[in-house]
Amino acid sequence: MNASRPPHGNFINYLLALVAIFSLNFILPRMMPGDPLHAIYGDEALVAMTPQMEAYLTEKFALNQPWSSQFTAYASGLLQGDLGYSYYYKDQVSTVIMGALPWTLLLAGLALIIATILGTALGIESGYRRGRPLDRGLIASLMFLSGFPDFFVGILLLLIFGVCLGVAPLSGATTPYSGATGLAYALDVAHHLILPLSALVLVQLGGIYLLTRNTMVSVLKERFIMTARAKGCSDSRIRYEHAGRNSLLPVVTATGMRLPQIITGALFIEIVFSYPGVGSLLSSSLDARDYPLIQGILLLVTVAVLTANLGVDLLYRRLDPRVRYAH
Amino acid sequence: MLEIKDLVVSFNRSPVLNGIDLSISPGDSLAIIGESGAGKSTLGLSIIGLVEGEVKGRIQLGQRDLLTLSEDEMRSLRGKEIGMVFQNVEDALNPLQEISDQVTEAMTVHGFKADASNRSLRLLEAVGLDRETADKFPHQMSGGEKQRALIAMALANDPQVLILDEPTASLDALTKSDILDLLRSAVAGKMALVITHDIATAAKLCNKIAVLYAGKVVETGRTEDLLSSPRHPYTRGLIRSYPNMTTTKDLQGIPGRMAHGVAGCPFHRRCTQKIEICTQQEPKLLPQKGRMIACHRGGIVPLLELDGVNISFEARRVLSDVSLTLYEGETLAVVGESGSGKTTLARAVIGLYQPDSGGITLEEKAVTKRDLDFYKTVQMIYQNPKESLSHRMNVFSLVKEPLDVQRLGSAEEKALRVKRALGEVELPADDDFLGRYPHQLSGGEAQRVAIARAMVLEPKLLIADEPTSALDASVQAKILRLLMDLQEKRGLSILFITHDLALARKVSDRLAVLHRGKIVEEGPTSAVISYPRHEYTRVLLEHASNLGDDRNSGWSDENVLQIDRRDAILSA
Repeated sequence: MNASRPPHGNFINYLLALVAIFSLNFILPRMMPGDPLHAIYGDEALVAMTPQMEAYLTEKFALNQPWSSQFTAYASGLLQGDLGYSYYYKDQVSTVIMGALPWTLLLAGLALIIATILGTALGIESGYRRGRPLDRGLIASLMFLSGFPDFFVGILLLLIFGVCLGVAPLSGATTPYSGATGLAYALDVAHHLILPLSALVLVQLGGIYLLTRNTMVSVLKERFIMTARAKGCSDSRIRYEHAGRNSLLPVVTATGMRLPQIITGALFIEIVFSYPGVGSLLSSSLDARDYPLIQGILLLVTVAVLTANLGVDLLYRRLDPRVRYAH
Repeated sequence: MLEIKDLVVSFNRSPVLNGIDLSISPGDSLAIIGESGAGKSTLGLSIIGLVEGEVKGRIQLGQRDLLTLSEDEMRSLRGKEIGMVFQNVEDALNPLQEISDQVTEAMTVHGFKADASNRSLRLLEAVGLDRETADKFPHQMSGGEKQRALIAMALANDPQVLILDEPTASLDALTKSDILDLLRSAVAGKMALVITHDIATAAKLCNKIAVLYAGKVVETGRTEDLLSSPRHPYTRGLIRSYPNMTTTKDLQGIPGRMAHGVAGCPFHRRCTQKIEICTQQEPKLLPQKGRMIACHRGGIVPLLELDGVNISFEARRVLSDVSLTLYEGETLAVVGESGSGKTTLARAVIGLYQPDSGGITLEEKAVTKRDLDFYKTVQMIYQNPKESLSHRMNVFSLVKEPLDVQRLGSAEEKALRVKRALGEVELPADDDFLGRYPHQLSGGEAQRVAIARAMVLEPKLLIADEPTSALDASVQAKILRLLMDLQEKRGLSILFITHDLALARKVSDRLAVLHRGKIVEEGPTSAVISYPRHEYTRVLLEHASNLGDDRNSGWSDENVLQIDRRDAILSA
């Protein structure tokens, strides 16, 4: 990356990416096979549907018009914050998404934070003890874990803790109709969250851990570590302040790139656990070919990833002076 | 007082340092010099307790043996009592911290928290880094600035022991000079160990030098003594291969490569004066003439000694009271005008003239008779190669003749040695060339054949009497290069007789000026050329070959001429 660009140059790049993705977001769902009207109402409903009604709906979604008109409708709606109307949920797309988003934010956000912190910490400790039992054990077990697809880990956890041991709920984000409030409600949420969260963290952990560990191993060979030792720095100071901080840099970059993975991971996990987040929403909207909803969700995910990457860029500037002051 | 006793450091059971004994007193600055891989850095790191291999022996600092201290105790010494300045390599400083913070850290980790950041600024200022630079990150600084920061860091707690690991490597000459000034004041009053492969740095910074070879100290001594007259063959090799403005002889290397774990003397495979014991027994570091030398032969051996040699032809004194010493692997040039007695001196050594009085010693034995053994050790080449080769013999018989005289080997062996000797002087050894007669050879070829004839016996001493004055300059350069290569490879000693001071300057280690049969001046070539003491030497120097118009102002005259010419062109 050419770091000599002023920050606004970066913003322009992000803007370009956003425009490109808006366009793709519009085109892709319309290339899917099948007729959305048929998908919404199903074959039985179609039999009952009058031609007038069908015409009305087609008119409403502009499905009979050329793509250019569809795009104009899409773009002008976007500018007003209107993501369209979900003809499956029969509500504004934004409202539907907002109902699911907090759960996903909770699940994916927590997973990202926990996996990053835990992975980095384990990576630093493991890299510092290269070749010793802790290091070898961690490498073997985390490599093993990260080899599984996330939904498989989810199913496994569900079977062990939910079905066999019965210590965790099988699905959902809360106990329906419990009426719990306050602390009881929070505990209930946590109880439902623990399995999907663990599944997501376990799968994400490996990559972050391995990256941190390997960076740590190579940073420890750098000359400034010797300089720090010769100054009389303590082990922990060398481990965290000198080697650890330097090992963090690639992890930050990787976290930005990992975000889409977390989101797709969350999608599968949400389906496995019937968790009422954006993932489940996307899945059902795909089933129903609910174009406006699909578009809305994909757009949201894209904006989220781009924003996160921008955040990583800004964070990197703070962490690494070589990028901040590069000349 | 820092005392290192019998220090052995091994990696995977193979020793990198093998029985090091050294001591440094307060105020002393000891340089460790040697080729890469000799174990220099390992020595520095083992003192500060950061070496990764297995360490045995004793490192005594005051009352404490550093090798028995726990890691925690050692940590509290590091940076506080023992400071280390690393080479300014790519990442010797943490890329994520400001310089002043890194210097501050050196104090705070030892509990000196009060005022630490102010003190760090003062320290940085003392090493020549202003406030603005103190706030910079390493990647924003030049190599010299980073080196200064590393020095400030090592000095932060005013340690009593300072280890400098290649402190001036990768710096340009001017920055290096500034850094050396700074370091000189930094090491004052401390016990300093300077690890360097740069002999000039050692010379400027240290009052003592220890030469490290394959994990052993082979020579230690005071800097001036050791550099002006190295006693161990390895030390001499190091100095000869180091480009500098002081020596005038062309660069020469050391044959072979360094290897660890060699039986006997570690240097014996590359040594040109080894004897049987060198391959079997490891020499001890023993005091000798104010030095410590680890060599079975007591250092470079004197090969030829002339002691008060007088020669007269009838009433005329040709040589009077000539005393000279020629060491193994060295070139001694004897310079003087025609009639000064140079050739007489050469002939006296080879045995063509008998001295009236005085003794000649070869390999520490007085030469009483010139027998076959003598001529196996001493050979001579002459000014005019064509005259020195019998015109009735072809190249093959010419080069083979000494072997016939010495009755060495069978006919096949002789033929093999002849071919090898011709190969060494870069002549073809095909039948066509072997069958040629002297009149069919060029001057340069003829002199090479003469050298091959001398070298076929693998002598220790070659007397070269004006060997190139009959040749043109380009051939002369090749012949001299050849002699220097033979010297580098075999440790050949050369007594070089010439009237040409400019030539002597490039090929000789030491120079003797002969005037009317007397040695009027003798010493290291560079010293004699730069600071001639005798009037006659000065006269010779004034008349030596020089490419400028005038010896002192030739260059500036040239400039004036160019400026004049340019002005003329501009005004035209």
